[in-house]
Amino acid sequence: MNSTATAAPGGLIFRALRDNPRGKLILLGVFVFLVILPFILPNRFYVRLVNEIMIYALLAMSLDVLLGYTGLLSFMHNAYLGIGAYSTGLFLMHAWSGSVWLAMLAGVLCTMAVALPVGWVQVRTGGLAFALLTLAFGMMFFTVAWKWYPVTGGDDGLMGLPQPTLSLLGINLASSGNSTAMYLFTLGVVTVCFLFTWRVIHSPLGAVLEAIRENEERAAFVGINVRRYKLIGWMLACGLAGAAGSLYILYRGYTGPGVMGAFEGAGVLMMVLLGGMGSLWGPLVGAAIFIFMKDFLSSLTEDWEILVGIIVILLVLFLPRGVAGLPDLLRRTKAE
Amino acid sequence: MEPILTTKDLSRHFGGVLAVNLVSLNVYDRQVHSIIGPNGAGKTTLINVITGRLGASEGQVLYQGRDITHRPVYERVRQGISRTFQITSIFMGLSVQENVRIAVQSHLGGSLSIFKPRGGLTEVNAKTGAILERVGLTDVNRQPANSLAHGDQRVLEVAIALAGDPKVLLLDEPAAGMSPAETDQISELISALGKEMAVVLVEHDMEVVMKISEHITVLHQGGVIARGTPREIASDKQVRDAYLGGDQWAPLTKI
Repeated sequence: MNSTATAAPGGLIFRALRDNPRGKLILLGVFVFLVILPFILPNRFYVRLVNEIMIYALLAMSLDVLLGYTGLLSFMHNAYLGIGAYSTGLFLMHAWSGSVWLAMLAGVLCTMAVALPVGWVQVRTGGLAFALLTLAFGMMFFTVAWKWYPVTGGDDGLMGLPQPTLSLLGINLASSGNSTAMYLFTLGVVTVCFLFTWRVIHSPLGAVLEAIRENEERAAFVGINVRRYKLIGWMLACGLAGAAGSLYILYRGYTGPGVMGAFEGAGVLMMVLLGGMGSLWGPLVGAAIFIFMKDFLSSLTEDWEILVGIIVILLVLFLPRGVAGLPDLLRRTKAE
Repeated sequence: MEPILTTKDLSRHFGGVLAVNLVSLNVYDRQVHSIIGPNGAGKTTLINVITGRLGASEGQVLYQGRDITHRPVYERVRQGISRTFQITSIFMGLSVQENVRIAVQSHLGGSLSIFKPRGGLTEVNAKTGAILERVGLTDVNRQPANSLAHGDQRVLEVAIALAGDPKVLLLDEPAAGMSPAETDQISELISALGKEMAVVLVEHDMEVVMKISEHITVLHQGGVIARGTPREIASDKQVRDAYLGGDQWAPLTKI
């Protein structure tokens, strides 16, 4: 399994290793570690916890495409994870449960179909107005998921989901109910999504997004159709969020409207800020920190949100560029 | 000779204030056309309406005979109308080279080739190098734009504006805040550019204006009060009155 999972992105990794070899060796090491992890972790609970981290890492990374690269603030990016989760679930329940890939594709396409008109409206604005629109649309989607009983199951959520067989590159792993198989499936999908996004961000398209982030007016004045490229960035971010949603419902076997709430949306933003925006890998780390922190603190107290809040405040004050800004900070303190 | 850019009775008001009032002017290829006038005369607003940063309240902007009054900014840029701003507008967080490279890329295409690295567009790279060379920023091409001295940032903005091979280049006070040496350098560059394309120049430094312009239009309270060659403008009584004999006018009397 290990070899098949690395085969596809292997060539890319090799090519990419030529520049910044240290950073990429670390990424490769993390990947190998994550592949081995479910076989050495004695506790299934932690396999599932890391699985959840990977899903939210994908979501946080997709938000970084917007926030860190295009300069657009989305308060409720989790809405698109929710839409991906619900549509994948509904596809499995009502259409076909024979192919996990088709279900995922349905989830991603549905998410993008919803995101397109929303994005079309949103890119006509910028700054605060854009951010407020993401909140308004997110609230609407949350209410639809919460109140539309016949389709979404209302506050009960989607239940009685069939568990499809997971397959990677033609190899059947196991049912999605098997935590190790689901974990490896998630790892495979998230890795491919990461490499794809990394490639896109470092392509000429990524340069256009960065130009918009740096100076929207100047971007228009070098001939960039700013709305069009904002929409492309938005669609990329929402498509990835939809993929995260598909993984989410496969992993949990269930989804409720809670996952689309504003509180959850703030959590995703915190992951990006903790990890450091504009680096792609930072938000992955941010997701890990946030979910571990949440897990640990909620075992100590029911009012764990207060502690998360305090920690986030401290981190934002003393590490404003997040974990991704740490190497730079260390280098500078060493130099002084 | 046909003008490349024409405004016909162009007006722009903000509420009841007429910032630009029925301005008609012709801009010709390979000429430096300066727009001068005291503070608040409407020079920057005029440039903003011509380039699409602001909408026109009335009147028309014609470019190569076509009405572009209501075209979006990026389309005007792609058709060959570039500009710089009074307050430097560059991509501060990006390197000098990337500032120019992204502008060239936007012009030559390739923005959607998502599987190429950024440096993989050969034609774009070559042109970026040539522009940096021309404006003299090759040595600092790897530095972030926000680390450049003010004068170099102004030059970088001109370089960005040149990336699209403009036919009309509008410069809004390019020498603002520059040292005398830097001013000399940039006016030399502008003068050279004026031999390749139409240049519309808004500038407070009258020495620069008088030295490099072929044609001058004088704005006062939003309207045109005089037009002509530098010599004609220097001896225009109405123009002198508009400036109230201020210091800005002193260099003119020497001509």
